Amino acid sequence: MISNEYIAKIEGHGSLTVNWDNNSVKLNIHEGERLFEGILVGRTAEEAHWITPRICGVCPIAHNLASLYAVEDAYGIKVSEGVKLLRKLMICGQMIQSHVLHLFFLVLPDYIGIDRGTELAKKKPASFKKALSLKELGDEIAHVVAGRNVHPVKSTVGGFHQAPTKKMLEDLLAKLVQTEKNAEWTVKVFSELKYPEIRVDLELVAQSGDKIVSNAGKEVLIKDYKKNIEEELRDYSTAKFGKFQGREMFVGALARLAVSPPSELGGETAKLTAKLNFQNPFHNNIAQAIEILQYHKQAHEIIEKLLNMTLDVAAKDGPSQSEGPSFAGVGIGAVEAPRGGLYHEMHFDPGQEQRITYANIITPTVQNLTSIEKSASALLEQIQGSNQERQRLLNMLVRAYDPCITCSVH
Amino acid sequence: MINNKPRIAIYDFTDCEGCETKLVSLREKLLLLEKKVDIVNWRLGQEYFEAGPYDITIIEGAPITRHEVDLLKELRENSKILIALGACAALGGIPAIMPEKDRKYWYEKIYTSQYAPRGIDAVPLSAYVKVDFSIHGCPIDENEAVRAVEELLAGKTPSYRGYSVCFECKQAGNPCRLLENKPCLGPITQGGCGAICVSGGSPCYGCFGIRDEANIPALRKILEKFADEKEIERYFSMFHSRTEDFNKNKEK
Repeated sequence: MISNEYIAKIEGHGSLTVNWDNNSVKLNIHEGERLFEGILVGRTAEEAHWITPRICGVCPIAHNLASLYAVEDAYGIKVSEGVKLLRKLMICGQMIQSHVLHLFFLVLPDYIGIDRGTELAKKKPASFKKALSLKELGDEIAHVVAGRNVHPVKSTVGGFHQAPTKKMLEDLLAKLVQTEKNAEWTVKVFSELKYPEIRVDLELVAQSGDKIVSNAGKEVLIKDYKKNIEEELRDYSTAKFGKFQGREMFVGALARLAVSPPSELGGETAKLTAKLNFQNPFHNNIAQAIEILQYHKQAHEIIEKLLNMTLDVAAKDGPSQSEGPSFAGVGIGAVEAPRGGLYHEMHFDPGQEQRITYANIITPTVQNLTSIEKSASALLEQIQGSNQERQRLLNMLVRAYDPCITCSVH
Repeated sequence: MINNKPRIAIYDFTDCEGCETKLVSLREKLLLLEKKVDIVNWRLGQEYFEAGPYDITIIEGAPITRHEVDLLKELRENSKILIALGACAALGGIPAIMPEKDRKYWYEKIYTSQYAPRGIDAVPLSAYVKVDFSIHGCPIDENEAVRAVEELLAGKTPSYRGYSVCFECKQAGNPCRLLENKPCLGPITQGGCGAICVSGGSPCYGCFGIRDEANIPALRKILEKFADEKEIERYFSMFHSRTEDFNKNKEK
């Protein structure tokens, strides 16, 4: 019973069943069901963004914002420019936190011959210090804007309970200036690792504006997410397996760079982005490193804007407007979370209590599970070697996707 | 009670893994702590694995599946000290909002009736085994985790903060929510969090656990002045619907 039966260094509990004869792989998901969509029913509009971050402690900000967007959509609540910018800044912090944790603590050990991320401190102390400076930065952004690095306490329906002070933003800006070269260094480190070369026919999918867009040229509206992202049951998994219009999909950093290459990146990084192999899931690690730099630059720009404006973050009209004409009763909140597109849908009863009557949540990892199996089969077909070595590569492949199994079984 | 360099196992049952994320946020302090112990089993952090017995087993998350319940009992037998990390392990946490009797209905709604569920119920570790100490919070305060481990390393039994969240809330200079007719569970909740939620403008839902000698009926009386029964219930049920302390007090 006390055994190492699960894949190490991923969030949540998964294992692989490999059929070496026909190169097929099953990804077993063992997490217990928490039934969040049931927990939410009966709770109120004001509690949703408190409850859903607890789906995932690695990307709680993404869930917090998706719930706020869903509630605001249902109640027709508009927010100020300052609130929009602060929420964007929260996402910058979230991306940096999550990608740094994944790349340095869960991925890098595979490539440099160590086991635990902290062993880097002994092997390459200067590198470890740089990695930690970025982890600290991501945590600090979350702390300044959301009030805590895990599970926000300052964000609320319509705005924020409190805005960061000018001093807090200035200190954050100073930290950003100090760490920019470390973000650039991260791109260099992860673009120079030797990744297994595989080629998988995957559809890369990401949100763009009010649409869901794929690199195969498909475009659908976010409000039609449920029609286009289908979820299936598998008897070996407590998570559902997602597909985009019937096909295996890939969501996350690599898909975002494929669908909408960022404008912030100049020079070498832009060239590197153009050279990514979008059909090799291992390149998701390079894409995450590029995104650390992208969101680092974006955070810098946002803070400069915030410092030049008078911040008004108080909620203008709370969900007490439920009787008013703007009440739609149904809201959808969509966010590009670190691991890909996240969707929260909530329905509310029209009464004063603002109770949730229905909730549906589709997480990024649910969308990636089907394609992890497909990529695993492709790896076995395309890479020869001992089964032991290929098992190791399969585990690395799963890690490259940065699955959050915790999220997938919400 | 424990060796100089104790063998530690860190487990996560069903949960968000946010408390482990908090441990990683310790950064340099995590390195210092690591030097004093031997982490021989930590699935999230390393491939390296040694089977038990362990000097200290730290468990995050709620035991929801049969497999987790069996493993929990085995870990208890194989651990000198068993520590609950965070609200899911210590109190049942957010997953425990779901009553056992409603699970069947929601399995069918969420997964269809074709689905064979694995979960039994979401309850704290203490529903199945003896827990030696709880590092509270949703998420934990990482410095409280350091304090608990350091006290263990010094051969002491870690102690709980002997005051409520109100004490830290006053220190933080926050106006009292109750005086503003806003619900708050601070008076009955153990300190240690630094009143971080109230300082950020959110309510206190009591994730640090109910403190010794908490007067729950008295707090209820105050809440009843401005909140109805349903609203009060919602506050208590965020983290406490399944804790023994709370349900015992409720009946008084």
